[in-house]
Amino acid sequence: MRDLKHLIYFENLLQEANNELVQKAKAEGKRAIGYTCYFMPEVLLDLPGCFSVRLRAPRCTSPDIATYYMSGRVCHYGRSLMERALEGGFNFLDAQMATETCTVTCRFQEHIQQKHLDSVEDMRIIDNDDFFVEFTDVPFKNTENSYQHYETQLRAHVLEPLHEHFGIDISDEALLQTIEKHNEICRLINEIGDYRKLDNPTITGYEFQVIQLVSLVCPKDLILPYLRETAEEMKTRESDIKKNFRCKVVLAGSENDDPEFTKLIESCGALVVCDRHCYGAVESRIPIVVPEGKSPLRAIAEHYLKTSNCPRFMPQDEMRARKQRIADLAGEYHADGVIVASNKFCEYWSYERVIDTFILKRDFGLPVCSIEKEYINSASGQLRTRFQAFVESVEIKHIQEGK
Amino acid sequence: MAKKDIKKALRDFWYGKPHSAEEGGRRLGELLEDKTQLYKHREWRGVKDTLYYFYMIWGYNYLHMVTDIIKYSNNPIDFLKGTWRYRWMGQTYLPVIHWFDRGLQGMRGEALAASAWHYRAMVSASIQQMCNFFNADTRLHHGKENNAYRHTILAKETTCGTLFYPWMDAGYRYVPIEMIPYFVTCHVNSHTVLNYIDAAQSIGLPGDPCPMCQAEAGIYVLDDVPDCSPMAITCNEACDGSVGTAILQDWFINKPLFALPLPMQFDDPLVKKYCMKEIEECWKFIEEQTGSPFSWESMVKRLELQNRLQRDEWEKWEVAGKTDYYPVNGVAQALFRIFSTQYGIQGDFWLEASEKVKKIMYKCVEKKINPFPQTRHRVIAWSCAPLYYSNWCTWAYNCWGLNTLINMDSLMFDMEMRTDSYENMLEDMATYHMWAPMRRMAVGGMHHIFELWEYMEKFNCDMVAMYDQLQCKGMQGVHGLFEDEFRRRDIKAFWMPHALPDCRTVSRAEIRSLINDYMTTVMHEEPLDPSLLDFDDSMTW
Amino acid sequence: MCKVSKFLLKFCGIVLLLNVGLFLVFFFDLDGKLLYRVVEPFLKRHYDNMDRKDPVKTPYDMEKFPKYKYDD
Repeated sequence: MRDLKHLIYFENLLQEANNELVQKAKAEGKRAIGYTCYFMPEVLLDLPGCFSVRLRAPRCTSPDIATYYMSGRVCHYGRSLMERALEGGFNFLDAQMATETCTVTCRFQEHIQQKHLDSVEDMRIIDNDDFFVEFTDVPFKNTENSYQHYETQLRAHVLEPLHEHFGIDISDEALLQTIEKHNEICRLINEIGDYRKLDNPTITGYEFQVIQLVSLVCPKDLILPYLRETAEEMKTRESDIKKNFRCKVVLAGSENDDPEFTKLIESCGALVVCDRHCYGAVESRIPIVVPEGKSPLRAIAEHYLKTSNCPRFMPQDEMRARKQRIADLAGEYHADGVIVASNKFCEYWSYERVIDTFILKRDFGLPVCSIEKEYINSASGQLRTRFQAFVESVEIKHIQEGK
Repeated sequence: MAKKDIKKALRDFWYGKPHSAEEGGRRLGELLEDKTQLYKHREWRGVKDTLYYFYMIWGYNYLHMVTDIIKYSNNPIDFLKGTWRYRWMGQTYLPVIHWFDRGLQGMRGEALAASAWHYRAMVSASIQQMCNFFNADTRLHHGKENNAYRHTILAKETTCGTLFYPWMDAGYRYVPIEMIPYFVTCHVNSHTVLNYIDAAQSIGLPGDPCPMCQAEAGIYVLDDVPDCSPMAITCNEACDGSVGTAILQDWFINKPLFALPLPMQFDDPLVKKYCMKEIEECWKFIEEQTGSPFSWESMVKRLELQNRLQRDEWEKWEVAGKTDYYPVNGVAQALFRIFSTQYGIQGDFWLEASEKVKKIMYKCVEKKINPFPQTRHRVIAWSCAPLYYSNWCTWAYNCWGLNTLINMDSLMFDMEMRTDSYENMLEDMATYHMWAPMRRMAVGGMHHIFELWEYMEKFNCDMVAMYDQLQCKGMQGVHGLFEDEFRRRDIKAFWMPHALPDCRTVSRAEIRSLINDYMTTVMHEEPLDPSLLDFDDSMTW
Repeated sequence: MCKVSKFLLKFCGIVLLLNVGLFLVFFFDLDGKLLYRVVEPFLKRHYDNMDRKDPVKTPYDMEKFPKYKYDD
């Protein structure tokens, strides 16, 4: 396939949290608002005057100081963020909109929070006088009570602080305008991503992940022209005549912002056609619909709870529906199997991965490759062997089925 | 034999040997067999205390283990069938008296009596729970769903028992599913739980999640959960691991399951309303499943008893914090508190024990009896404790004079609940559930875990035993800050790494060795009883 | 000696013997030794060899249970 025009540019944008576009937006006087979790609606942080940056710590392989503070027995992602923060890599942030949605990212955000109590000394990790951290409580259910609660929380802990600290316009009009812009991003990403549904896709999982990631970590206004151009380019992009893959897979699992991991899977012959993980596009790029009679904030609250497939959702019907959802995605994207990858020390996904491994195979007939990985893909040799074996097993299955 | 020796022998016979090495002390370590820690012979504590132990602890508890079964079981044969069917039952129930031995080693006088009453209440409550299981278990009744089955409300062990008070008058029983199979077994017989941890990992669960949650899941994997209720309730207490466990729990229980997740940011006044509604939804689920309505009278009756228990505790803490006369040892204090909260008020054992302990305590205050006369340091134990070595504080007192007065778990449920109106009760219920168990200091903002400094002051402690649960992500996530603060505040603190129920990760001997090293190299102190410094208890219960 | 006294004496003797016997069990931890060396290994063998249901064969129906929602 012909190289995508902006791919190298996009890859470069992913090398630093404080990338070229972030710097440009800051120079224009916009406020950079960090977040880590899907449950912090990025659309609220993209209101006029500010922009969202989903935090990553690329190339952080040795989080030594963070390991002193958080020990070596917690998720590498949380520790890497902490290390990057301690190195000064997040000093450009004006605020962190935090959630207590998983323990280690929560602890990271508490570490960078200014300490108002004398119980512990403030390390002033983020060296920025304007910087503040605000926590939002996120419910675990899809019920009316949860929607109301989430809406209240988002108003009190996201919108109002943005207005108070930075004078951000948080009116319904501003929200509607931001939703529109957000939906355009979603439309473009989905348009690009839909090429993965082709029999012989014209985009690789790696390329798509890079594009999805830049849409999460760059100011929307500034990345939008590049996405538009890429979407146009995709219309005429042709796949190689001979398929470059041996099977197609859905990549499900926990936090994953490392395109190299996807590249590794694809180098073993499994094309990643769907990304149902924390930084994936499956949920985050569903456009937000504001129904008649509902406020934009309420619509946003409902949207983020309804679209999430996070294992922290506890109701019985939702726990079960998550497996159905992955099976449906495999059907929609014509995938031959599922790779479920969880970060080491991720409590939620340790359990979800176990049950996915059994149920997707037993009840849906989907081959499953169950992987535990580090944030930065350091054990590539072992993983490569696992993926190669998985691809072979899928091929054998195909032969047995006479496909 | 010299006259002096005869005199000492007589004094030792009458009063028991003295504690410390210099006085020709008792050398407790020599009483125990290597590895198994079975007694070569039990300790001679002097005539009075030995007879007290023999009659009022050993004999009394063996006897009551039988009478409690008769009292709480619909049919004692079911109890035997349960013992035969469930590993956690057979392996746990029988060595109960040795659980007393470990916790009460070396105790004398008022400390012995008061601590033993806490143990007695826990045993009684546990037997009641076992009977609740077996009365209702279809596996022991040829698959029949009997009346007890229909009157049992099953819930994840970290769901507070208070929630189910409204149905108690109507004859419903609340059973915290994993409390006996997992939690109690760890304390009484640490071998049992290893089967469950291994079972969880045998289906692909990695070894790094919290081992408590692993073991909870493993009970299902080993098919060791009684089928004793038509429904179940799960919750997100205390951590991500509990949420994860619910995923497997739902699959293996395969019955109507209600999720009661509680807010994380509990300091935020905005979360209360949401939490109150969640609790009410849970009550509606119970009403729907049982067909029995919420009873306000039943709720109030038990909440008032619970409040009385809480007030008792405050009285005890007052004495513990301000005087040297508090007679309950560290392990009895910690376990009584967590057992009573999790089981809730389902019998009068907690209050009876509490009354007896208060009586002993006030006797100590009036007569100025120091029940722990060899105290060198007043210790507060912080974070979550090693369940397989909850009696470490008994050892630490005997060996080093470290008197553990209070621990973090005890302080989590630190509130009364109003019963003057439904709204007030519900509001307090929400707070209570957001705090307990293991949540009050663990979630909702990092500053909570640093309340340690306030409690150190309140309980007049000069040393911290800092538990270091290696697989607790929340606590590991603040490890370095504690190091910094201990240095900044010049606080004497030793770390105790452990893996909650799993004695294979950090052995008891390693824990002791770390404390020994701290006491010799940092504190430059000599042990009170050198026979306890180094011994092999690798195969003990 | 009257019958009552004889009976009382006998009774006291039995009680005393029982107490002494139990005290010996207590003092030499015979209960613990029996449980640790005989009962527990026996029970362990029994539990290890027990037939158990394979939990991963438990059905996982998507539609079996309703949504338990009470706030609408």
